[in-house]
Amino acid sequence: MSAGHEDSGFVARRFVLAEFATPEALLVGTRKVRESGYKSLDTHTPMPIHGLEEALGLGRAKIPTIVLCGAIAGAFIAYAMIYFCNVIDFPINIGNRPLHGPPANIPITFELAVLLAGTSSFFGFFTLAGLPKPYHPVFESEDFARAAVDAYFLSIELPPEGDPQKAFADVQAVGALSAELVTESER
Amino acid sequence: MAAPNLSRDPLEPLPLLEGNHTDKTINDSLLDHVWRGAGKGWWALFGCALSMLGLLVIAISWTLYKGIGVWGNNIPVGWAFGIINFVWWIGIGHAGTLISAILLLFQQKWRTSINRFAEAMTLFAVICALLFPLLHTGRPWFAAYWLMPYPSVQRIWPQFKSPLTWDVFAVSTYFTISLLFWFLGLVPDLAALRDSSKSKTKRMIYGLFAMGWRGSGRHWAEYKWAYLLLAGLSTPLVLSVHTIVSFDFAVSVLPGWHTTIFPPYFVAGAVFSGFAMVLTWMLPARQFLGLKHVITLKHLENMAKILLVTGMMVTYGYVMEHFVAWYSGNPYEYSEFFRVRQHGPMAPIYWLMMFCNCLVPQIFWSKRARTNILVLWFASILINVGMWCERFTIVITSLHRDFIPSSWKAYSPTWVDVCLFIGTIGLFSTLFLLFLKFVPAVAVTEIKELRHELDHAKAAEAGEAH
Repeated sequence: MSAGHEDSGFVARRFVLAEFATPEALLVGTRKVRESGYKSLDTHTPMPIHGLEEALGLGRAKIPTIVLCGAIAGAFIAYAMIYFCNVIDFPINIGNRPLHGPPANIPITFELAVLLAGTSSFFGFFTLAGLPKPYHPVFESEDFARAAVDAYFLSIELPPEGDPQKAFADVQAVGALSAELVTESER
Repeated sequence: MAAPNLSRDPLEPLPLLEGNHTDKTINDSLLDHVWRGAGKGWWALFGCALSMLGLLVIAISWTLYKGIGVWGNNIPVGWAFGIINFVWWIGIGHAGTLISAILLLFQQKWRTSINRFAEAMTLFAVICALLFPLLHTGRPWFAAYWLMPYPSVQRIWPQFKSPLTWDVFAVSTYFTISLLFWFLGLVPDLAALRDSSKSKTKRMIYGLFAMGWRGSGRHWAEYKWAYLLLAGLSTPLVLSVHTIVSFDFAVSVLPGWHTTIFPPYFVAGAVFSGFAMVLTWMLPARQFLGLKHVITLKHLENMAKILLVTGMMVTYGYVMEHFVAWYSGNPYEYSEFFRVRQHGPMAPIYWLMMFCNCLVPQIFWSKRARTNILVLWFASILINVGMWCERFTIVITSLHRDFIPSSWKAYSPTWVDVCLFIGTIGLFSTLFLLFLKFVPAVAVTEIKELRHELDHAKAAEAGEAH
């Protein structure tokens, strides 16, 4: 949320959207813009670009930890469930076989570990990314329709007091082809 | 059909992408078949598929109305078409996971052009497979009572030591994970569809499914991990699924089922039949959807090589089964493999299986066969037939003559069995044709990434040469 948010009304967020010719130019541009002190940077590209995490200054991805927790939870739930059903809730003595037979529990334990790890990877990603999100200010730009096709954008969220003209000059200095200002619309 | 380029150095590998492309041309050429109206060929195929689907509806309705007594299976052949088709379809699904997950982990670049396609096949094949055990429960609307562990007033839990219960968990996990993996890979492509759509309605619909994807660098950073980990999870998953399916047989005491080679041999057979099915559909699709520049002869050749390898693994499985039957000195086992299968009433199916699965793939030692579209297509059909015969041989011949001759009984399917089987082929084809119509058949985003990688590799090579 923008810093100038007040109860009285809506403050539109403003973004400078700069287009670069190639992924390599975008990488260089992003790094330089970040080093020159801009905050709230993001890029919009049709495919993942190697090295962009460093250029944007992102930390370690969180998904691996989430997935590990999902896998452990799944394995634990499965094993505990089988143990509870077979040993505690409804023990049946069949030919004096042990109620708790670990080898027979492995397949279901494994499957549920995979199930919970996979679903936590999927839903974890969408939660972290804040998707689905039908509206985002960058969609205001006409050119942005090419971001999923063949264009490489850098977006800078301007602070309320930020000057778009200075941002234009800065992105052009690091090799942007063009730059425009997009403003969030009030709905 | 892709005339061989005579100027090519024969030692130089075939290209993964043909022609010079930019992101834009890749985008347009791969989305073209979605925007283009459905052609006559599509409608003709769709008509056939729908009529087969009609058969499925009739067969299911009749089964539910009369009960599963209308199927041909009866003691001693208590399992028949239901499980044959279940195992066959699940196996077909496995190629998709192998291509999308295992080849991704091995960093095989050629997988990129075919993974979307194969993953869709996985989903549809698993849907077809799931129908059979569900219907075999007789009253599927009660199936949840004894399949899923939930606290009910009966206080009874599923038998967790039974491979059939493991199957429930394995197959439902497999379906869920395949669906999530497929959809996650599809999201950036749906955004590309949204952004290149011409009409507002299409933009709305694809936009809805794209969920507001904006290619954000922050999203990509997590996305790459989510995708990679789903691939990493799918890899052991796919091995476990067919292993557990094979436990349904291997854990029993029946001659012909009770063998330890079943898990690896089933997994190899699954990949074998799955690749055959991918080829059966891919060869016409690349022709008619204009995908020849991304699904090149190189891809077809690699797939033929995989057929050859997995075909030989399956052959090894057969040889081992027979060897152990002889070497164990068990008369029932020996009789099953050397008398009943080879000379019994089902012998033609056994020999057809041997021909299709062991001999047919051997033509792929020849490069000319590997790169000939017609040879590939017919071989892929024969392998599908062969793998179905394999499951028939395993299930029926083992059951219809077991230990005591007084309990022997011949088996023949009823019209309902046959219609159910043909019907699932119709269901699969219908779903697949709809997929080809509404979603890009090739992972557009990944092809763009691949093009950049290839360009970098080429540039690096040129740099070294100087």
